[in-house]
Amino acid sequence: MAASLPDLLVTAETARTRPPRARATAGWARALRLWVPAGFLILLAAACFLWPQIYPVPKPVGGSVLNAGLPPLSPGHIFGTDPVGNDVFSRILYGGQVSFEVGFAVTAIGLLVGGLLGMTAGYWGGAADAVISRVLDVLIAFPALVLALAIAEGLGPSEIHVIWALCVFSIPATGRIARSATLALREQTFMLAARLSGTRGPRILLRHVLPNVVPQLMTFALLGFGVVIILEGALSYLGLGIPLPEASWGSMIAQGQQALTASPDLVLIPSAFLFATVMSLNLVGDALRERWGVR
Amino acid sequence: MSEPLLEVQDLKVTFPERGRQVRAVDGVSYCVYPGQTLAVVGESGSGKTVSCRAVMGLLPLAAVVTGSASFAGTQLIGLTDDQMRAHRGADVAMVFQDPTRSLNPTMRIGSQIAEAVRAHQRVSKTQARQRAVALLRLVRMPLPERRCSEYPHQLSGGMRQRVMIAIALACRPKLLIADEATTALDVTTQAQIMELLLELQTELGMALMLISHDLGLAASYADEVIVMYAGRIVEQAPAARLFSRVRMPYTQALLEAIPQLERPAHSPLPVIGGRPPDLSALPAGCSFAPRCRHAAEDCRATEPPLAEHEPGHRWACWHPVNGEHHD
Amino acid sequence: MAVAEGLRPGARTEFARRALGSPTFRLAGRRVLAAIAVLWGVTFLTYVVMNLLPGDTAQLLLGANATPAEIHQLSIELHLNEPFWVRYGNWLGGVFHGSLGASLQNGENVTTILGARLPVTAELLLYAFVVSLVLAVGLAVLVARWPNGIMDRLSLVVSMLGLSVAPYVLALVLVYLFAVKVQWFPALGYTSLSTNPVENIKSLTLPAISIGLPLFAVYTRLLRADIVEQLQREDYIVTARAKGMRPWRIVLRHALPNSMFGLITLVALNLGTLIGAAVIIEPIFSLPGVGDILVQSISDHDVPVVEGIVVVFAVVVVVANLLADILYAVLDPRIRYGRVAS
Repeated sequence: MAASLPDLLVTAETARTRPPRARATAGWARALRLWVPAGFLILLAAACFLWPQIYPVPKPVGGSVLNAGLPPLSPGHIFGTDPVGNDVFSRILYGGQVSFEVGFAVTAIGLLVGGLLGMTAGYWGGAADAVISRVLDVLIAFPALVLALAIAEGLGPSEIHVIWALCVFSIPATGRIARSATLALREQTFMLAARLSGTRGPRILLRHVLPNVVPQLMTFALLGFGVVIILEGALSYLGLGIPLPEASWGSMIAQGQQALTASPDLVLIPSAFLFATVMSLNLVGDALRERWGVR
Repeated sequence: MSEPLLEVQDLKVTFPERGRQVRAVDGVSYCVYPGQTLAVVGESGSGKTVSCRAVMGLLPLAAVVTGSASFAGTQLIGLTDDQMRAHRGADVAMVFQDPTRSLNPTMRIGSQIAEAVRAHQRVSKTQARQRAVALLRLVRMPLPERRCSEYPHQLSGGMRQRVMIAIALACRPKLLIADEATTALDVTTQAQIMELLLELQTELGMALMLISHDLGLAASYADEVIVMYAGRIVEQAPAARLFSRVRMPYTQALLEAIPQLERPAHSPLPVIGGRPPDLSALPAGCSFAPRCRHAAEDCRATEPPLAEHEPGHRWACWHPVNGEHHD
Repeated sequence: MAVAEGLRPGARTEFARRALGSPTFRLAGRRVLAAIAVLWGVTFLTYVVMNLLPGDTAQLLLGANATPAEIHQLSIELHLNEPFWVRYGNWLGGVFHGSLGASLQNGENVTTILGARLPVTAELLLYAFVVSLVLAVGLAVLVARWPNGIMDRLSLVVSMLGLSVAPYVLALVLVYLFAVKVQWFPALGYTSLSTNPVENIKSLTLPAISIGLPLFAVYTRLLRADIVEQLQREDYIVTARAKGMRPWRIVLRHALPNSMFGLITLVALNLGTLIGAAVIIEPIFSLPGVGDILVQSISDHDVPVVEGIVVVFAVVVVVANLLADILYAVLDPRIRYGRVAS
């Protein structure tokens, strides 16, 4: 397939400034950039959900106070125990379950509801757009935070309520992205062609808008997944999320804060897992964005 | 014959793409003399734009450029970007195809021209501004002072192209390369801009290189014409000669593809069958052989060299046509 | 207006009529109306949400030991018995008279509370925002000049790290490293600007870094990508090179201004994040700002205080978005002048 020269002048390859010799390893490095973090995520998720089923671990709750405050690498407690006596390692695993569940649920709902709203607003414009945009604007302006806090506070701490509370963030955010992506698409000629050929609205949305908006939404969703995990951690940290004594990385951090000077590992271990998970999500999102050519 | 202003010898440009080497320019040699108008003609992918950008050092860093391009004695290939900068705009200037995208949308016209002046000359801002007005006058722009405070989007396409020419002429270059400079314009404006370029060329004593896919343009305005295909020069001759005694089948096919008023109505337009070659996998013999009506076995086997078979007329073909073509 | 004064009376009305009818004015007018609508929506939504919170406010305020009589008494005092619309109407009316009501918790004037706490939050957020923005622009310009060089790779790594870290985690790590291990900064507490400027800055530095680092990461990534894209894909950059312009001048004078649009959009979008971060960071460092009391006020059902905070922040966000729109017009002459082919 002949590459026409004006294209040649600005492909991603020629835009690099590395000497041609390094070309051979680049494809290899690219694959690594995707599969190393993705592999980590898969392994971590598998560990969180499957390990306790397969291999017995101490219970994450109801530990004996006699066991409290053991340092990492103690016998039987590889990450030590927390001030109440629970095994940190199993709390990490169960807390991870919570993070993945909440992250997945909130992101999925955001994609479905927010994506649909955004595409509708972007495609149809007019009254629907005006109304939807105004509502999203209102939500983004500030009460998203108050709303989330109020929902979490008012309904009482629990995983489901956390999910609802965080949807207040994810739906408008995804909606915005979907709307602007759809608006950009609408200007393109193939959309006009579809309309002229008599294709009806919903069908156009499905067959033409959706496939082109999906890459952008997916990469955004991956970044959003990380943000949701951080937010869930924040809510739990504030005491408004997953209630103690159940395990959540955020509440573990809050708990560990009291003993920060004495045993920093109580803060550092869940922080490290939180950080590694979010970073892997970001890296995967970046790698996919590179592959799919999303801006 | 005076000394050539620009002497290009065996210029080659390759781009790496997805593990393969794309040979955009595959051994090109020509000369440009002071005051001469040289047209470089070819279809997309022939290498005409890339070879000129290589001379000016405007290719992406990943491009590998070999060969020689000597401008008034100075070798341009292999210079660092810093060294090259001294020549860009001052000795060799370029006018690009799309004036809409080639001008900074958030900067006033006057500033963009003044910038070109101050790139090479130590003048004050006021003086540069005055030069800008003078340059706009030079390119026959009405109301030049007012234009200086306007933005590109406030001008029409033809006017934007005049601004581009003004920018290019800011430091009185000896060679002006017009890379498809009129392709994006409507036909009337095209003619105006071409006339302008020729007038300026005489006024300023510049050499002019016209890069185009439009053979008619070359016929009307050039002294000498080079035809490129697949990164190589396939025919070169003075304009009148080329069009009256075309030799290369490719050139002949190009000429035949130009719609003619004299042709009978509704007759099919002759086209060149096939597609442009894949520059990363060029065939062994003549690159045009797959599409050539007159191709023979030796054409596919060995690449014909570019040679001066008749005085002043070079071509690269084993079986040239004896084309009597009247414009 | 000075311009209008020099004109004849008839011309003045003509000028006014044209100014009022001009597209820019109408656009601005529409925006302002929309902004007011959004502000109203925000306050209304908050009021609704706060009222939907379960639990009796009076009971919450008095505690578990309160007798029914005391609860009833307090309810009447604080007008908690009256229907929703009346209460909202009262509050809204109060706002138009310049009063934000009084805290249900301790009767203090909400305006006073905000007056005391807002400057702290404002200073913190400004500190974080300005420093992260300035550093981001500086770094982005530097690395865009030499894409894929060492500095570029380093900056990409740093911004990936900054992007992935949670502000509260960063805060704790910073406290551990810089306030406990080496006592360069205070772990807690706030010194006001008037008391001691140096201590003031020190007390706000760790919190500002906790908030600012993720912001810095986001800004740098976007700006760098934008500038590099401009430099590699835009035709006017090729023109600039062909003119013989120096690379630095090309980056600063051509690529950067055209990349600002994306940055402005990003900044406006991230404003909410900035404010939200304050809610978590202030309690960690015991900074007496607005974020510090927000969570507590929600738990206390202290509606006037919550509404007051919401109003202030909503105004800030709306004004910021308007400013962003103005900036777009300033930077992009195509918006200012419209399309006029003379």
